[in-house]
Amino acid sequence: MNSKSANYYMSVEQLSNLAGSDIQGLVPILDWDENEYSFAILDCFEQSLRKSQRLLFVIDEQVELLTTEGIILSQHARPDTRFVTGFQEGPVKEALTGLSPLRALLTVASGTMRNGKLSLIDNEGKTHTRAGLRELMPISGKAVVLITPQGLRGYDQALDDLTAHIRTSGGTPLTAGNLYRMIDHACVDYVAKPTIEIHQEETAFDTATNLIDSYLSIVRMNEYGIIHDLDTEFLHDYRIALRKIRSILSLFKGVYDIDQTHQLKIRFSALMTPTGPLRDLDVYLLEQESFYSLVPHTMHSGLDAMFSLMRSRRTDEQARLAIHLKIGRYKKEIKALTKLFSKKRKLKPGPNSGCTSYDFACELIWKRYRKICRLAATINVATPDQEIHQLRIECKKLRYPMEFFSAIFPQEPFDSLLKSLKRLQDSLGLFNDCVVQQINLQAFVDDLNDEQHQLEITQSIGSLITILYQRQSAEREKITNAFVRFSSDRMQRSFRTLFQSRKEF
Amino acid sequence: MQIVACYSNKGGVGKTATAVNLAYAFATSGRRTLLCDLDPQGASGFYFRVKPSKKLTEARFFEDVEHFTKSIRGSDYDNLDILPANMSFRDFDVFLSKMKDARSRLKKALKAVKGDYDIVLLDCPPNISILSENIFRAADAVVTPVIPTTLSQRTFEQLLEFFREHDLPMEKIHAFFSMIQGTKTLHGEMIVELTHNYPKRIMAAKIPFASEIERMGVVRAPVLATAPDSPAGKAHQALFDELLERIVP
Repeated sequence: MNSKSANYYMSVEQLSNLAGSDIQGLVPILDWDENEYSFAILDCFEQSLRKSQRLLFVIDEQVELLTTEGIILSQHARPDTRFVTGFQEGPVKEALTGLSPLRALLTVASGTMRNGKLSLIDNEGKTHTRAGLRELMPISGKAVVLITPQGLRGYDQALDDLTAHIRTSGGTPLTAGNLYRMIDHACVDYVAKPTIEIHQEETAFDTATNLIDSYLSIVRMNEYGIIHDLDTEFLHDYRIALRKIRSILSLFKGVYDIDQTHQLKIRFSALMTPTGPLRDLDVYLLEQESFYSLVPHTMHSGLDAMFSLMRSRRTDEQARLAIHLKIGRYKKEIKALTKLFSKKRKLKPGPNSGCTSYDFACELIWKRYRKICRLAATINVATPDQEIHQLRIECKKLRYPMEFFSAIFPQEPFDSLLKSLKRLQDSLGLFNDCVVQQINLQAFVDDLNDEQHQLEITQSIGSLITILYQRQSAEREKITNAFVRFSSDRMQRSFRTLFQSRKEF
Repeated sequence: MQIVACYSNKGGVGKTATAVNLAYAFATSGRRTLLCDLDPQGASGFYFRVKPSKKLTEARFFEDVEHFTKSIRGSDYDNLDILPANMSFRDFDVFLSKMKDARSRLKKALKAVKGDYDIVLLDCPPNISILSENIFRAADAVVTPVIPTTLSQRTFEQLLEFFREHDLPMEKIHAFFSMIQGTKTLHGEMIVELTHNYPKRIMAAKIPFASEIERMGVVRAPVLATAPDSPAGKAHQALFDELLERIVP
């Protein structure tokens, strides 16, 4: 019986070398099936499957997952399945539970493949061990062979010998290498939250510029996915990267020349503006299920009509944004900004440009934290929504620099502070979502001009708003308590130790 | 797990060819199969190109379960493993009792190496002895090839007699005609006579005397793998299908 073992990959040339000579007295025999199949390797944009050391195939109408343990899971799949959630129930879907339901499965490579085997036989023609082979011949890119050694019972030595030989012939364990890059050398490795290297003694100017440069490349990498509407996360990541850039421009005061900073803020704001309407619609449509669960069944027909209207508006907005991203004006502007931050020559330093990033970070974070503490002291159950909203913004202004500069502070105490902040923000986020959704839903109703089902939609939205208001009220008490914790003496001491210690020495 | 013994108290009746092809057919049907080569004169291991295990000829072999599991060799076919052994009857007896006993160390050891088989096929030595009784008791089915000649008829009847004398369940015997030569009138007459006398014990499938079966020694692979569409291949498939119907609960 076969024992499970690791999977390897190598080039076609490496395989012919491997099969070219005896292995410990056993003769290698290559045997290919006549049938060819169409194949596609699927993964999310950030290559979550590859990074979790797995490989997802579609072979004709079958979807196969090669797990980290070298086990092959398979099930039937409709050819148009784009999201994990679209798979029928089965072992592959179950194994992919951890994959983001929001990320589309994109084709990394596709083409034809054939199966084969490599056997090592003795002088009596008995197989001692073999390896299952899959030759992938992509339409574009380099052909590779996947090798799965399969031990035969009682012939452990031969399996060990074959595995060692695969390695010395250039075989890379699937769990260790990057198969995608072997197929296509230009295959982009996308990371939505890159670790950007910052040193304590580098100038705030360099830090800000490097950060913006890195986030600009994220902006650019997401353009294709937005234009082709691959999934909603492309636009989400695009906007987050832009938001980070804008927050750097406003938080890193005096790092760039004041006029230039002002101009840059306007330019980046102009990039953000056209993306808003589509993202808002995406958020609603992604929340569809939870909206349905909030209101009674009798209100569902109104929601049906509302979401149908939203879907049609989304189609229009998506097309509009895609055109915007494809036209010359946008391209010219984004290229100019990218060049500005990568070349740095035309960036004008401001009065604080020479500060070390450590000093700059300490002062910035401490100042932001103090401001939150001051505001938090005035919070109570009667505080108007607007003030809570302001606190939310202040928390964001603290969160971004903490994230930007995380690399230059001691990890353990820093992470613990960041975690507390995140908890607070979660609560604020929930509160804000409720407020914003109430406003937006009301605006949606107000905008309905003699639409079909207008009455139904208005009724459903009415009951949704009621529930959202109740949620908002429930969240408010939590927020008050969370702020008390976040501005406690203990927390203030921690912030002081981390961000004010150098000054005191 | 079911134990199927390929047994004949007369040599040269095509017993090993039957064991080899049935093992292959069981494995191909998706059942995890272990073929035990227990016949010192037989060659089921040879047909699968597996070299005999030296360790297994040692007398104390079955005192060590690990030796047993280590001696099993994977064949070139999926789901089919071979135990290439020349066992003493004493060992064989112990082997059978351990195979049957779910609590035995042997069973546990097999489970541990994911070799808990669905079918264990025994290629048995060709004689009747006191210890054969244990084989017959342990096996769920005793598949017996019979050449349609008077001499074979005699040995077959001796087997039936043995079952009667030892109060063994006769239903376990699944006999079939083997090495039939259509040109021999005697063969035809014997088939009619024996089928008439033992309608329940004799299966309908008939294995012809065929060059493909003889060539198994040259190609060293089951007929079902090399020539499934030949008359001999089809006959073995029919034998397997019929046996399956008779033994699967």
